[in-house]
Amino acid sequence: MKLSNDANKVLGTFLRQYKISAEDVNDLEEIVSMMPEDRRQIYKNVESNPVGDLFRYSVHIRIQHLLTFTTFLLLAFTGLPIHYNDAFWAVPFNDVLGGVEVTRVIHRTLAAWMVLSMVYHLVTVIGGTLQKMTLGQFDIARSILPVMKDARDFVADMSYHAGRSENRPEMDKFMYKQKIHYFAAAFGNIVMVVSGSSFIFPEFWNSVLPADYASHFQEMMRLSHPHEALLALLVIAFWHWYNVHLAPGRFPMQWTFLTGKLTREHQIEEHFLEYLRCLASLPEERAYLREMLVSKGLVSVSKDIDARQNFLFDQHRQWVKEQAMQEAGQEPVAEEKPS
Amino acid sequence: MSKIRLLICAVVVALSLPSLSQAFVDDEACLMCHKYPKMGRVDDEGFQKAYYVMPEVFSKTVHRNVPCRDCHYFIKQLPHRPVKEGVRCDRECHSIENPSTGKPFSHKSIYDTFKKSVHGREKLETGLDNDKPYCITCHTNPLYNEEEEAPPKEITDRCVVCHEDEAFAFKWYNHTSRRIREVKRDTQEIVELCSRCHADQEIIARHKADAEATGRELGEKYTIAAESYEKSFHGKVAKYGNKQVANCLNCHASPDNYYMSVHELLPSRDPMSPVHKDNRVKTCRQCHKTADANYAAIDPHPTHDKELNKFNYYAEIIYAIVGDVALVLLVGLSLFETIGRKRDGVSWVLRNGTTWRGRSRRKRK
Repeated sequence: MKLSNDANKVLGTFLRQYKISAEDVNDLEEIVSMMPEDRRQIYKNVESNPVGDLFRYSVHIRIQHLLTFTTFLLLAFTGLPIHYNDAFWAVPFNDVLGGVEVTRVIHRTLAAWMVLSMVYHLVTVIGGTLQKMTLGQFDIARSILPVMKDARDFVADMSYHAGRSENRPEMDKFMYKQKIHYFAAAFGNIVMVVSGSSFIFPEFWNSVLPADYASHFQEMMRLSHPHEALLALLVIAFWHWYNVHLAPGRFPMQWTFLTGKLTREHQIEEHFLEYLRCLASLPEERAYLREMLVSKGLVSVSKDIDARQNFLFDQHRQWVKEQAMQEAGQEPVAEEKPS
Repeated sequence: MSKIRLLICAVVVALSLPSLSQAFVDDEACLMCHKYPKMGRVDDEGFQKAYYVMPEVFSKTVHRNVPCRDCHYFIKQLPHRPVKEGVRCDRECHSIENPSTGKPFSHKSIYDTFKKSVHGREKLETGLDNDKPYCITCHTNPLYNEEEEAPPKEITDRCVVCHEDEAFAFKWYNHTSRRIREVKRDTQEIVELCSRCHADQEIIARHKADAEATGRELGEKYTIAAESYEKSFHGKVAKYGNKQVANCLNCHASPDNYYMSVHELLPSRDPMSPVHKDNRVKTCRQCHKTADANYAAIDPHPTHDKELNKFNYYAEIIYAIVGDVALVLLVGLSLFETIGRKRDGVSWVLRNGTTWRGRSRRKRK
């Protein structure tokens, strides 16, 4: 396969950031050149373990997801009967909990847990990013932050779904859809916390706002809290659950939120650039893919031509040499494989 | 002979027992007719009127010691003629003395206060003023102040040391203890009471039309007072059964003397009103101790009415559109994606290590 510009850029950055050795790069170059141009041939033929093959989410992210979704659902289930307290279904629900006043206390307690989960997330995300920056391993393309490429990916993906192009775009660890979802959830969380807190601490919020906007602010918050909650619940029910439970290829469940791992075929299909990074850092993944391509007769027919066209490996080998020369006399060229 | 006299006395006593059980004075024998449950008639307008007085109920009310004709003074003969006049609450009671002044008891001073309020009216009114509440609209003289079965002995024992009449001590105890205890309506009952008129769309429409025709100034929130309170934070919490939350009177009656002030409710444009813009901070601070001018600017009667609050009206519409559009787009995206991927042969279950079993139905280039 001849690597695209995007792939060249992402892989080149990764190889340098993680100081991948010349031997690994040689192996990687070979496996990349063996890969067929049509990426569908790869993800349609690899073996996948339903519970996941390739690492994606740390245990912190998984705990945050568990905390967020349990508090979110319970907040929705206690918030709706508070908002629609006259409805036929809300009355017995509130009665079971001990009356709507009790439901309110439960709702506020859960809200505190959700805020805690948000803080936990911010600490790990900001801390993790700072740590990567310190180690020189931060790459904005691999992060959740939106970049221009996402817009291009969106257009290209729509083109694929419409049947106008052969392959899905080469997307990174987080595709456009996940970025939309993440920032929608982040925005929704902030709206819920601000509006919810304006019900509990109206004096505080109004003391910091100009008098002309104080009343409008409260009105907006009163509108926002139920509207945003309903929207979030519907988006979760109709979109998120569809994507992770019901969509073909994901049914009956993606195990990522529990195991932190993604199936191989899913990663190649929707996160091809991240899969290239996995190939670069995991010799066993390269061995598996080589064996699969050979056994199924999928090795690219233009393998040797492709190999000559992927300049990035030569560039990296050159870079490794330069690094070694710079450090010559002090340390030998680093050969250990990254963990 | 003395035996016969004794027998006659016994018969008289026995016959008068039912009336003795009535604790109120009926010297003029009004109950002779009004004790019958079916006492009533259909008036000229077709309404059925009941003139039945339940002695056992009336005997427990605050007026039990007031003779009927102290209030129904226009009745001069028995049987009396059809009554054209109503009972006015500013009448002096000739039979009851105000113990603090020694003068005949009267509600006149509070009645005069009430007449100056926005609700002020005469007993018999026609036109729009007839929509206003009279004393008995709120003072239904309910039984929630029913006297205790037996006053606490440790207290009345002390009273009767000087006040030999035990019955007087009991009455005095009931009169004072009832007023010390909280007997006013709770939040939900007050909201319900005010809503009887302020949520009546016919009354609202009548007054609105009149205000527009005559140029009379109507309260800013008059047309939506009850419904907007229900939507407000206070209203919702009140509906949930919370007793501490502000009801109509907590804001519209002055906290300086609540009991006096509920009779002199004023429109918010009146500088004496607790909800006048200059008094709002003080009113809010009854509960919200740190309230400032910004806080007092929060609208306690929120509305989405286009004329009354354009901001809310459009905000609501924008919210609804954004929510619906977002949902439709996202669900549409999922469906579109599924169609595209299905066309390429993905299946619903991951079996034998793959979900891509179906054959691609794409036209290969």
